[in-house]
Amino acid sequence: MRETRLWSLHILVIPVIAVLLGMHFAVQHYAPVFYGMSVEKARDFATMIERGKSTAQFVVYILLLAAGLYHGLYGTRGIIRELPLSPALAKVVDWGILTVGVLIFALGTYVTWWTFVHPGV
Amino acid sequence: MANKPTAYNNRLGLKGWVYAGNYTFERYLYIGHRLSGLGLIAYMVLHIIETANRMRGEEAWAALMGLFASPVFKIVEYLLFAAAVFHAMNGVRLLLVELGFFLGKPQEPIFPYKSSVMKHRPLTYIIMLLAGLLMALGGSSLFFK
Ligand code: HEM
Ligand code: HEM
Ligand code: HEM
Repeated sequence: MRETRLWSLHILVIPVIAVLLGMHFAVQHYAPVFYGMSVEKARDFATMIERGKSTAQFVVYILLLAAGLYHGLYGTRGIIRELPLSPALAKVVDWGILTVGVLIFALGTYVTWWTFVHPGV
Repeated sequence: MANKPTAYNNRLGLKGWVYAGNYTFERYLYIGHRLSGLGLIAYMVLHIIETANRMRGEEAWAALMGLFASPVFKIVEYLLFAAAVFHAMNGVRLLLVELGFFLGKPQEPIFPYKSSVMKHRPLTYIIMLLAGLLMALGGSSLFFK
């Protein structure tokens, strides 16, 4: 039951990733097409801070962090656990992956927050 | 585990990933899906650490973006984009398969067999053509200023 739920979550976050990553690419990769802004300008410090101070962008990044990290790390866990691991080693893998996920999510959230409350350039 | 000899040696190691005698198109898509998935998550973790550099101020950020504007990183960025497109498109196909769509109706197993993989294959080709198209179009952004 627990494994079923973890797998279902892996699948259920996909629509979230599809939409948010699509938006992220539109901003970072296709700025000239969608925003009439050069790629360089789109990745400029001031532009980034300005963008990060919007509530919508804040929410988008936190959700993308959570959904992307969960989907990707759960997938990695699956690949590693296909190997013939002892139950003890499998546990180490699970905890290791969970730790990486929590740490990176914490860092990303902190950085997103730092940008959100930045006084501006 | 004991490595007992078998009539057919299927312990091909890494080489077996690429070819083990009877690989179908879908088997290669599976390898691609796995590699692109691993590439994306590796990138994502590094990406979050890398974009945290903004906390070191405007100059540190500008230096980093200057580095990413170099031709080598342009290519890396394109490969990443292509991996994301492939993984997403093939992922949609896998979702359809796993939820049971486009596999045809179950039927009596009478020779010659027609597997659900074959029933699915036209859609597989269409999806991969679309993915190729998106990658080609996406590549044009390499020339954006
Ligand atoms: C629209 C975007 C995406 C779609 C539609 C998608 C879809 C899928 C699907 C259907 C699976 C296979 C699940 C299964 O059969 O059990 C999968 C596996 C995986 N995905 Fe994604 N995914 C997307 C984005 C991402 C991203 C952004 C990452 C990395 C951060 C990622 C990393 C992985 C990994 C590592 C696996 C495991 C591969 C394997 O087991 O061979 N995916 N994805
Ligand atoms: C062409 C490829 C990419 C480029 C050029 C790019 C660029 C950037 C930049 C410049 C930022 C800083 C924030 C901002 O400017 O608004 C950022 C943040 C972010 N990116 Fe990307 N990105 C790319 C691909 C990806 C992919 C594939 C993923 C997910 C799998 C991703 C996930 C994120 C996340 C979650 C953040 C927020 C990080 C945080 O706030 O700590 N990006 N990206
Ligand atoms: C009692 C009936 C069935 C059970 C218990 C079952 C179970 C499974 C399981 C556990 C998987 C692996 C899913 C995954 O990748 O996570 C799978 C994959 C698959 N099944 Fe079934 N299945 C059943 C019936 C069918 C039928 C009737 C079809 C076709 C008409 C079918 C076609 C497939 C295909 C094509 C895959 C490969 C999906 C992929 O590439 O990941 N299955 N099945």
